[in-house]
Amino acid sequence: MDWLHLLHQAAFGAIAAAGFGVLFNFGLRSLTWCAGAGALALGVRTLGQDAAWSLEAASFVAALATSCAMRPLIGFLGSRAHGVALAGCIPMVPGAFLGQAILGMLAVTTPHPENATVILTALEYLLRVFFTLAAIGAGLAIPAQLLRNPDF
Amino acid sequence: MPDDPVRLKHRQLERIAMAALRMARLLTECGAPVRVAHQGASLVTRGLGVEPVGLRTGYASQEITVSSGHNTITRMMSVGPHGVNHRLDHALRALAVRVSQGGMTVDFVEVEIDRVVHGTPRHPAWVVALAVGLACAAFGRLLGIDWAAFGPVFLAGVAGQGARRRMLRRGVNAYVTAAVIAFVAAAIAGFGAKLAGSNTLNLAMMAAILLLVPGVPATNAQTDIMEGYPVMGSARAVSVIMVMVFATTGVWLAEALLGVH
Repeated sequence: MDWLHLLHQAAFGAIAAAGFGVLFNFGLRSLTWCAGAGALALGVRTLGQDAAWSLEAASFVAALATSCAMRPLIGFLGSRAHGVALAGCIPMVPGAFLGQAILGMLAVTTPHPENATVILTALEYLLRVFFTLAAIGAGLAIPAQLLRNPDF
Repeated sequence: MPDDPVRLKHRQLERIAMAALRMARLLTECGAPVRVAHQGASLVTRGLGVEPVGLRTGYASQEITVSSGHNTITRMMSVGPHGVNHRLDHALRALAVRVSQGGMTVDFVEVEIDRVVHGTPRHPAWVVALAVGLACAAFGRLLGIDWAAFGPVFLAGVAGQGARRRMLRRGVNAYVTAAVIAFVAAAIAGFGAKLAGSNTLNLAMMAAILLLVPGVPATNAQTDIMEGYPVMGSARAVSVIMVMVFATTGVWLAEALLGVH
């Protein structure tokens, strides 16, 4: 296992989650938890991908782990726990894939697209975005629904 | 007939309905799922002594029907721009719980909602811009940008967030804003990364626009559909796609400008 790569992904996952936490107006104390959730999410996803899981499967398990990890903290975080888990998973949202998919679609609309590979690549990116987003959403929602996390 | 008990009851019900709708609207505008907005409104109506009969949340408006005895009233309220404001969201949830415990008047609830809306702090704009720049650069590292592109992506994120704030404050359409910000951020990141000798120009341009990726609405869309609100969920999903289409148009223009393919 490449520990340096794992540490790199976890550290930048934490920074990205905390950065987006500021944009979402989390309080200072919650930002620390956002960073922790981001590190956990990216750490688990990296471990999954190192074990040759697909991005979708690794993202699902990472979101599931992040949502479950917030459960023992409900006494402390209250209804904020779900928001913290969500902020932690934001760095896993495949925004760049979606951009590439739409750019690929733009290439397809040219009068003479180079070859079928362009179409296939654009479709592949689009499907991966869809399934990865669905995996993150499901991974976050399943524990919250089963364990009945408080909303108020 | 100023002392008509039915009209008085309806006026009182109307004020309760509007206070509950305001709670639901603010929660929705803060990025809460529909279930939470409905629960917040129900807590307010019950705390004020009436029963909510029905609630409907659309992307642009909300309706509530409340009843007390034989009196029933239905009211509707527009919903403003959807955003994410975690601290305001949770301050409103705490207020809804307090109202549900009883002992408050409608007047007091309205004053309290005003106090929460105006009293909940926000991070200073420059802090948000720096944090967003750092988040974009970190996101870029996760995507695989090299260190030469890190600084340009950071600067592009800071500039993009600053410009986005200004444009939204001026009331520019959110989708047009996404296209313009994507163009500006991608152009700065691409040009900067080129100057810095980066080998990951394309990724740097993508990383710079990640401040526009609507991650919370995307997961809320799924949550809403799962919880039985497919109309709102679908509307959120369409808005996510629209933002990304406009943002990609901006990147496409920036790529054309810089000759990147």
